[in-house]
Amino acid sequence: MVSNSNNGMSKYVTLRSSDGFEFVVLREAACRSGAIRRMLDPKSAFREAAASVCTFEEINGIILDKVAEYFYYNHKNRNQEDVPDMDIPPELCLELLMAADFLDSLFTVCSSLHC
Amino acid sequence: MKRSRSSRSLLANGSTTTTTPASAAAPLNPLNPPATPVAPPPLPPDVILPPVVGVPPAQPNRAVARQIRGPQSALTDFLASKNINANQIRVDANNRRAAALVAQQAAAGGNDNEDNEDPDSEPEPVPVRRKNESKAQETKRKKEEEKAIAKIKASKKFRRQRKQYGSEADNTDEDEAARAIFESSMAPLPDQLDNCELCGKRFTVTGYTRKGPDGGLLCPKCTKDLDKEEGSALKKKKTNQGRARRKIQSNLLDGIYPGAKDLMTLCIETLAKNVDQADDFGDLPPSLIDRLAAILSKKRLLNPSTFNLFLRPDFENVTVYDGAKLSSDDYIRIFQIVPKVKSVRLRNAVQFKNVVMDHLLATTVELESLSLHGANLIDDERWERFLREKASHLKVLKVSYTDGHFGDETLGVLAETCPKLKRLKVCHNQKVTDAGLLHIAKLPNLGQLSLDIYNNTSSGPYVEILSKVGRGLRTLSLAAAHYVDDTVLSAIHQNCQNLSKLRITDNEVFTDQAFANLFTDWNNPCLTYVDLHKCRHIVANEPCENPEGVGFASLGFEALMKHSGRTLKHLNVNSCRHISAGAFEAVFASGKNYPELEDMNLSFCQFVNDLVVGCIFRSCPKLKTLKVFGNFGVRDVRVPKGKILIGVPNALGMQIEGIDDHDEATGHVI
Repeated sequence: MVSNSNNGMSKYVTLRSSDGFEFVVLREAACRSGAIRRMLDPKSAFREAAASVCTFEEINGIILDKVAEYFYYNHKNRNQEDVPDMDIPPELCLELLMAADFLDSLFTVCSSLHC
Repeated sequence: MKRSRSSRSLLANGSTTTTTPASAAAPLNPLNPPATPVAPPPLPPDVILPPVVGVPPAQPNRAVARQIRGPQSALTDFLASKNINANQIRVDANNRRAAALVAQQAAAGGNDNEDNEDPDSEPEPVPVRRKNESKAQETKRKKEEEKAIAKIKASKKFRRQRKQYGSEADNTDEDEAARAIFESSMAPLPDQLDNCELCGKRFTVTGYTRKGPDGGLLCPKCTKDLDKEEGSALKKKKTNQGRARRKIQSNLLDGIYPGAKDLMTLCIETLAKNVDQADDFGDLPPSLIDRLAAILSKKRLLNPSTFNLFLRPDFENVTVYDGAKLSSDDYIRIFQIVPKVKSVRLRNAVQFKNVVMDHLLATTVELESLSLHGANLIDDERWERFLREKASHLKVLKVSYTDGHFGDETLGVLAETCPKLKRLKVCHNQKVTDAGLLHIAKLPNLGQLSLDIYNNTSSGPYVEILSKVGRGLRTLSLAAAHYVDDTVLSAIHQNCQNLSKLRITDNEVFTDQAFANLFTDWNNPCLTYVDLHKCRHIVANEPCENPEGVGFASLGFEALMKHSGRTLKHLNVNSCRHISAGAFEAVFASGKNYPELEDMNLSFCQFVNDLVVGCIFRSCPKLKTLKVFGNFGVRDVRVPKGKILIGVPNALGMQIEGIDDHDEATGHVI
């Protein structure tokens, strides 16, 4: 999908959903999630790091689409103070909440192990 | 509008008939010049006065006119001695009436009535209050006006306003602006009458009356029209700005950093907004459900129908952060729907009363943890029954705001029936006394103890508790123990070896030296949570003096940071006013590092200033929030990105410096 350059670090990463949808996202934006950052950390020996592809078995395409949208929303507004809230459709709310919990909690677990 | 001087004096004369018909005629009679101090000859009662209109104007010489008079009332006499003239009041009233009449006639469409009045008076737009004055009065008034305007121009407020709005307004003539302010200050007060600037109609001025384009006041109808014309764009813009600023400040107080919210917060907020559409929370993990419960309560959305979302047969925890809208039946429902519940945590649970307790006692529910806040309608008899029948499994009991219930006897029963109790909190309690506290010493497994007793308590029971159960304590919180003394601190020093959280607040007896002794060579691992707020010396007439070294001050602070600085996460020394600048600078000196410190409250510590705050940001890399309410030495400090400084004493709030240092250290990202 994205050719690996610069000793295996491409500028983009691929997020793959449980139902096979793929989202190519700026690495910097995607790494705002601790879980994804840990998965893609070149120092870790995860397969994801080598391929720059993260597969999420528990997140479907619709939700992952929203997550990718959030990555860019967050990335775009990273240095702003007064940011309008991103619109979240109420029907996706619960599933998105689970996804957010997963993507962040993994990070907390990892970092606490790391300490 | 006609308000000529001649018409005024004319009416003035016409209206002098104040007291009695006979005497009233006197000043009007052209045969009796008002200047003569001689009393008027008595007129026969049948003399008919000529009609008022058409009498040549008399000189408005009030001082002399007062000399010629018939019998008059004591009130008139008194008023006259105070230089208040009933005549003048009447004249003004008549003038107003005339003006209103003219206005009405003008409104009716005829300008032809003008010859009723003095023809040579120009219908110039003279403000109301100028209508009846002499030349001398006019010059005097003008002089005073100029003086007032000059004063306004020189005032600081005016200059500031000019500075603020100067750039945007086109008609920035200083004189004009000053005059506008002057006129607005001289405008009729509420409840007085004025004529509308646009339609000329007479109306009552109220506090809401608005100004027209030329500075006059407008009647309600014209105001409405003008408002419609302008639209509320300008007003709205301003309030929106204010709202946004308030929102940011409110978020800061909640610890939410300005900028994009994390995805979880966004989702929870959306969910809270649409909670009425939710049937079920699905498989959300308990931690998220807890967050949802908190945010729903914060938004006052927790009511009997949304409460159902938190009741599921397989739950073991039920948490209500604000149960003010729930009824007794709702609380009974907890035990009906969630029979396996192990932990019940209810705040503001006023309706958790005897009925609910009776129901709980009749079920097979075996609670391990009960936390009740504000349940002040459960009587002591029910508490005793609960403790005797249901407490054998109880590990956690938190009872706060019970007013006149849950006293010494109840604590005695608790000591008998709850040997397994690990955690006890009795807060905001009005009934427990020293005798009750002694029972707590009989709970050998206690790991966490929180006490906040309203009755005055002495040191003895606390020392007894600490010597019996102090060794096992991990949390110790003694709030509002105002008069316990240093023996308690030394008991902590001797007995506690496992503390990680320590709270001792609102005391004015502990000495600084005793605090220093507590934290020096203490056989206890480093603390992670310390709250010593309001441990300070209070003497109203000499607030800065503290010769006895009372309160948590420099020595204690340095000793604490030396002992626990490595692991301390939360520190609250709010109002410990005698911690010196030197102590702060020494503790947060350039070589010192407090790697875990996240949250600090240094409000009302008078020696905290820009330098100290800067040093704190340098030596506490993980610091998230720092509170500095009431520290006027903090003026202009630059806050590094990612940290929150709350309570800076200026309207702007904190100023952020630098860009997002996005690395491993910043925890909450998504």
